[in-house]
Amino acid sequence: MKDIDNPHKVQKEILKKTYLISLLPIISSLLAGEYDITLGFVFGLVIATLLLRLKYNNIIRALSMEEESAEKFIRNRYFLEYALYFLVLITAVRHARLNFLAAAVGLFMIKFVVISWSVIDLIKDTFQSKIDEYK
Amino acid sequence: MVEFSPEVIDTIIRAAALLGAGFAMIAGIGPGIGQGYAAGKAVESVARDPEARGNIITTMLLGQAVAESTGIYSLVIAIVLIFTI
Amino acid sequence: MIEFSPEVASTVITTVSYIAAGAAMIAGVGPGVGMGFAAGKATSAVRRQPEARGPIITTMLLGQVISASTGIYSLVIAIFLIFGI
Repeated sequence: MKDIDNPHKVQKEILKKTYLISLLPIISSLLAGEYDITLGFVFGLVIATLLLRLKYNNIIRALSMEEESAEKFIRNRYFLEYALYFLVLITAVRHARLNFLAAAVGLFMIKFVVISWSVIDLIKDTFQSKIDEYK
Repeated sequence: MVEFSPEVIDTIIRAAALLGAGFAMIAGIGPGIGQGYAAGKAVESVARDPEARGNIITTMLLGQAVAESTGIYSLVIAIVLIFTI
Repeated sequence: MIEFSPEVASTVITTVSYIAAGAAMIAGVGPGVGMGFAAGKATSAVRRQPEARGPIITTMLLGQVISASTGIYSLVIAIFLIFGI
């Protein structure tokens, strides 16, 4: 995991990987003719991207505060975000052309990418240290 | 002696399964608090030793992924209760 | 022998699923508490070491991305219960 010092670059990297990986479900659902799943997935993915930006802006604002007020600020912002998630999922249920489960998976996509990225990094580091030891 | 017709028994069982699914999801509190705590400690240690930030972030993410599993257990139980009973 | 009319059975099931959905939503509290803790730690860390600002922001962002998900699990279950998919 490089570019850790620059949060902007990390965001761009995560979003790039997420979009690359989500091409797979999008294309396969398009080929299968299940347009509801494609639309729901893209809906969830777009909301997840926007909420990542929102989280970043909230953190930047919280860092200039005192400790207790930052705690309160992030907690309140999280509850707002929770309400947003609720609205998004309600929309996906109520709308006939959006698949609910696909929208939920689209919301989780960024998280899957972050976790698998760190696991791949760990495996790479372990192999590198083994190779160095062998030399 | 009170007897229940099969429909009444089915209704009671279905209602109890749905109620149980709702209460199972309360377990989601635990991983949330724990993951936030891990993030706070990771931030503290990045500030103390900025050289080791790569290792700290990888360790934090792996620890959070493992802590997530209890939340996923409750999710699986809730889905089983809703859809199979 | 006790019997329910179909309306009574469906009313019981709907009532119980709304109660269960409300109970499931309690899980949303956890991530809020944890994230707030992490934010407090991050502000004091930036105050102590202003040059480590970049890695601290990255750590918090990744931590928040992971910890928000337990709340969404409970939301998904609550919506299953409300709408009866």
